[in-house]
Amino acid sequence: MSTVYRHWEIIDRAKTGKFMDEEDFLPKRFYPTLKKLIKKYEIKYDPQNPCPTDDSMADRVWQAAWELFRDVGYYNTDSHRIIEVADEEIKEALYMAKDQYIVGGGKDACLMKHRSVEDPEPPFCIMSPDITVDEKYHQSMCMAYLKEPLLDGLCGPILEETFGHLIESGGPTEISGCIQHIQNQKMAARLLGRPDTFMVAVGTAEHDAGQIAVSNNEWGVQKTDARLVGSLTEFKTADTLLNRSLHYAQYGCFTGSLTGAIYGGWCGGSEGTAITTVAYSLIGLVIHGAMFNQHFPFHLNYVSNTTRELLWPIAMAGQALSRNSKLLYTSNGFANAGPMTEMLFREVAAHALVSTVTGWHLWEMASTRNKYRNRATPLEARLGCEVGHAVARQKMTREQANEIANRLLAKYEDRAADAPMGSEYHECYDVAKALPTVEHLDMFRRVKDEISQMGIDFLY
Amino acid sequence: MSLENLNKLVKEGETEDAKVLAQQLLQDGIDPLKMIETLTQTMARVGDLFAKLEIFLPEIMLCGEALTGVVDILSPYLDASGGREIKGKVVIGVVKGDLHEIGKNIVKLILETNGFVVKDLGYDVDSLTFIKEAEAMKADFIASSSLMTTTMPGQLEIIEILKSKGIRDQFKVVIGGAPTSQEWADKIGADLYCAHAKSAPEKFPAVLDNK
Ligand code: B12
Repeated sequence: MSTVYRHWEIIDRAKTGKFMDEEDFLPKRFYPTLKKLIKKYEIKYDPQNPCPTDDSMADRVWQAAWELFRDVGYYNTDSHRIIEVADEEIKEALYMAKDQYIVGGGKDACLMKHRSVEDPEPPFCIMSPDITVDEKYHQSMCMAYLKEPLLDGLCGPILEETFGHLIESGGPTEISGCIQHIQNQKMAARLLGRPDTFMVAVGTAEHDAGQIAVSNNEWGVQKTDARLVGSLTEFKTADTLLNRSLHYAQYGCFTGSLTGAIYGGWCGGSEGTAITTVAYSLIGLVIHGAMFNQHFPFHLNYVSNTTRELLWPIAMAGQALSRNSKLLYTSNGFANAGPMTEMLFREVAAHALVSTVTGWHLWEMASTRNKYRNRATPLEARLGCEVGHAVARQKMTREQANEIANRLLAKYEDRAADAPMGSEYHECYDVAKALPTVEHLDMFRRVKDEISQMGIDFLY
Repeated sequence: MSLENLNKLVKEGETEDAKVLAQQLLQDGIDPLKMIETLTQTMARVGDLFAKLEIFLPEIMLCGEALTGVVDILSPYLDASGGREIKGKVVIGVVKGDLHEIGKNIVKLILETNGFVVKDLGYDVDSLTFIKEAEAMKADFIASSSLMTTTMPGQLEIIEILKSKGIRDQFKVVIGGAPTSQEWADKIGADLYCAHAKSAPEKFPAVLDNK
């Protein structure tokens, strides 16, 4: 059972909690508490080891995250009040949380269950381009992802236009775009013969109304699917977001909490990013009643998370969550480079490798700093998920993963700031057939060979 | 106790200590204008460190606060000696429908620490609110951030309302945010586009000069 039984009390607290000026919340409440906890729990970033193995530090990160959430609370920017929770409530929610769910329907249903550190069970693989695409490529791209064998769940590309109209935020075009989005995605799944594949949808919805408009078990987002509710960085929410989590629960689909702690922003460095990421899983569970947490910590300047200062907090947060809870959480890769570049393949490999051995499920892969239309493809997600399956099956240790991660980083790290933008979807995929071009596939195989020589035993 | 110490305190974001020391330096007869000049240079260096993420947002923020604290102490004396130069007054916000506020917050911070007076309207801001607030503040700039193609029309709307009200030439309109571009700025007739926050303090005054 998720913790939605608390929803009404939470909503109340958003109105009755302690008042604070929004301007003061981060500098006067969040940051000083985080800084104090980093010191109290002696959390120390170690740049040599992007995949650290320090169990005791992972447990301290968990403790710090707990206290961060408890002592800071979650700020509602509409009511200017702080939603606070007590230890007892966090404990209760963690006890009530399920460690596994069956998602998707019928023959396409999949089990998503809690992973341990160095778990030999492969991660649950959600694939997503995380970007917008031209309307004319939308369905093809949905289809291309669904053709990926390791895909357990799909979060489809986002629309900017709907039947020739620019989607305007909050307007009727947003509602139409949302319906078009889910129908394209479901149609692709049906045509392909995976009609009840688990979906996280729809990214085109910028407002609660857009999400609500697609809740339909026949033609829309089904109850076997999931939706996301975001947080405002850091530790803030708004009524339009709380509306979503309540609606998801009332409708009966799964809820995922979407958060990206920002390295270089209010989290400070890697230590604060790790602690904040873990705290967000608690927020997702306790405030939004989420069954899984979707985390994309990222670098303030690069909008990526494949450099070592981000791999370390990802690895630490994964271990903290894995060792201390039975929660479900996905690690969302953000790469610097664009599609059909060797750098992107290496980045996704490093991200998936480190995430998998530290207890995460995978959500791959935002490419090209998650910024440019049409610049993401299923092939980079494929490599990430193949790496995830391989390292789990071969029971790779964190030490081994750390060594390989360092070797991969040596090949791309210095290019983080000026990474190649690569190609757009239609330049490296056959749009009509929804398949990668020969050239693209050749590059995929070449980099896969290179990575395999570093010690990853790919399954095929 | 010297100007060097004051610099250090501001750099470390020690607002209270910096204020006390500034007071003392004034009594010792140090020229307030000189103090401000030195601190402004320090702030620029801190800005560079932040741009490379050698320091992080909270640190530059604290540093900015300490600078503001010292400026408050020095202001009365500065007015006597001709005043501190204000580079411009800005209203800034994220356009309607858009909740992405991180970039806007950084721009605000960089402008403030570089001698601009900034009024932050937050996010999901109605186009007319930008204008009313700019009028109330007698702002030089209306700066808007948009992170989604679906909210970019809000930036155009600001300009259209300014035109409808017949006050387009009273403000310089600046736009920014990941999906925006020089091309979009040209298309909607904005006065300035900045791809990065760090270029803002230099670019803003340049367009004001041709006002
Ligand atoms: C973080 C993030 C979020 C966070 C935002 C948290 C917050 N409180 O701000 C959350 C999770 C809440 C979020 C939600 C959503 N997001 Co979002 N998000 C992002 C992401 C990954 C990073 C943005 C960011 O903070 N960058 C870091 C800052 C520092 O960079 P920046 O904003 O570009 O600012 C710099 C410059 O542009 C410039 N600048 C910015 N503004 C201004 C203004 C002026 C005047 C000047 C001079 C300069 C300037 O200075 C800054 C510093 O140099 C972007 C992808 C991306 N790469 O941009 C997607 C992105 C913006 N999101 C997107 C989407 C679709 C959404 C959602 C609809 C997802 C969903 N279905 O729920 C919702 C929308 C909610 C809403 N109504 O706004 C899309 C938008 C697509 C589009 N249509 O254009 C993007 C582009 C991802 C993608 N490629 O699809 N998101």
